[in-house]
Amino acid sequence: MSFIVNGVEIEDTFAEGFSMWGSRIIITAKNRKWANIAATNMTGFATSVISCDCEAAIERDVPPEETPDGRPGTAVMVFGFSRKRLAEPMLNRIGQCVLTCPTTAIYNGLPEEEADAMLDVGKSMRFFGDGFQVKMRMNDGWLGRRRYWRIPVMEGEFLVEDKFGAKRAVAGGNFLVMGVTEDIALEASERAIDAIHTVPGVITPFPGGLCRSGSKLGSRYTFLKASTNTPFCPAIKHTLTDSQVPEGANSVIEVVINGLDFDSVKAAMAAGVKAAVEVEGVRKITAVNFGGKLGKFQIHLKDCLGGA
Amino acid sequence: MEELRLTPKDAPTIPIEAEVISPDIIAGKRLQDVKGLTVYVGNTTRTLGDFFDVEGDIAEKATDQLIVVEGAIPHVKYIGAEMTAGRIVIKGDVGMHVGAQMSGGEIIVEGSASDWVGAEMKGGLLRIKGNAGNQLGAAYRGSSDGMTGGCIVVGGDVGIEMGAFMRRGMLIVQGDVGPFAGVHMNGGEIFIFGRAARRVGAEAKGNGGFIACFGGVEALLPTYIYDTTYRPTFMKLYLRQLRDELGIEEAEKFLDAPFKRYRGDIAVGGNSEILIVEEQ
Repeated sequence: MSFIVNGVEIEDTFAEGFSMWGSRIIITAKNRKWANIAATNMTGFATSVISCDCEAAIERDVPPEETPDGRPGTAVMVFGFSRKRLAEPMLNRIGQCVLTCPTTAIYNGLPEEEADAMLDVGKSMRFFGDGFQVKMRMNDGWLGRRRYWRIPVMEGEFLVEDKFGAKRAVAGGNFLVMGVTEDIALEASERAIDAIHTVPGVITPFPGGLCRSGSKLGSRYTFLKASTNTPFCPAIKHTLTDSQVPEGANSVIEVVINGLDFDSVKAAMAAGVKAAVEVEGVRKITAVNFGGKLGKFQIHLKDCLGGA
Repeated sequence: MEELRLTPKDAPTIPIEAEVISPDIIAGKRLQDVKGLTVYVGNTTRTLGDFFDVEGDIAEKATDQLIVVEGAIPHVKYIGAEMTAGRIVIKGDVGMHVGAQMSGGEIIVEGSASDWVGAEMKGGLLRIKGNAGNQLGAAYRGSSDGMTGGCIVVGGDVGIEMGAFMRRGMLIVQGDVGPFAGVHMNGGEIFIFGRAARRVGAEAKGNGGFIACFGGVEALLPTYIYDTTYRPTFMKLYLRQLRDELGIEEAEKFLDAPFKRYRGDIAVGGNSEILIVEEQ
């Protein structure tokens, strides 16, 4: 079953999303260059928990007027399968990639009232100060109480908030863009990413937001727990008996979305698909799932697109 | 908010102790009962109505009660002492102990205040637009804890021993301060936009406490050690808060200022900080 949007076939199927824990942090620095350097380093090698310790990416640039210290900032979101498996990579990555980066400071981007739990990330990071760290207490008894740690570093001083909010989130929102050519699939996917990044509360953790290999559970090899999504590989579409690449499609790119809640992921998928079908030569859009057996969430393309 | 207006009548020659001028005590009462509240004048007891014309509306809860004192009352002490919620506005000078041990709500004094303003304050916001006397936000004699929370802003100058034994909270003075500001402090933040007199931070211990001096220091104790000159990020958070939440516009010009960091008071093994803006 399928339906048509802007002349493009959309398969009436769903993306299978998984429950994960997500957090948002705000990295600030002297200028945007250094905030982005820290954020880029911190979110490196964090595409998929298949082989990475977490999934992470830059959410958006944060203007100076929205950051706690009035400097340019970058919002980063991190996802892990449990609170512990979220806190550990956050601690490691902040410690190795942000603490070390000149001029940076780091703040909680998920307020307690929106969070399901508060992680002691800054509280653990303070030990990098080797006893010379200073606890900074703000607003006791009159505004909302805030806690930070000031850690001496060779360049000056690193400021980190004591606790970071975390909440039950949704990972694995996705759709596949099938193009007549590689260039068309790439252009449509890029447009989708641009549209997705206008939706708050979501990230696209793969390179440039795009996953060209796809992935499927297991492989022919017992030592490999995941392999490329061969049914969607055009190069072998006539070799495989179960290929799902339609005639006329010669390149497929997957867009993967993680978000702080179901509605954000759904909105991002909608924005992405609508942008992708604007490109001439997109043959079909579909989504990846496991028959609804693995993931907690089913995000139907038809629902995303308003029952089109 | 419901507004209750107190208009001062003839003042006695000795001070009045009127801790009953507090939203916690007034809320929920009838106007007649408020006029009959007990105040102390020397060794005699009188009523609030003897010294104030009382009119206006009374709220059910302290959080909804505004008390406006329509004039100067430098002879009245303990206004708003131990208050937890609501708002008091005093349209003139006020006597000693205003807001002492308060834990919530807001007091605004449009004139100047005498000694012990916000002594042992626990929470809330206390703003003196004029000058304040000695022992602002300090611990009472014999007590080990001064301010433990809240915020006091003074638009003018302050006397001696401001913030003595301070533990938490924030003190902001837009004018000059007398000797021994932050003496024995062990936490909390003090911001002095005027000139700080001698012995600032004497016997301060640390616990994250600091004194930021924007208008120079008369003399720094030799038991404070110079560490570095830098532009600490954390100071931007405070200065933005002073500018945005408290309307202290002069904070703006120090957002990117370099500070000299001194650590002490090593006479007592302290790890407190005095941060002095480097002259530019």
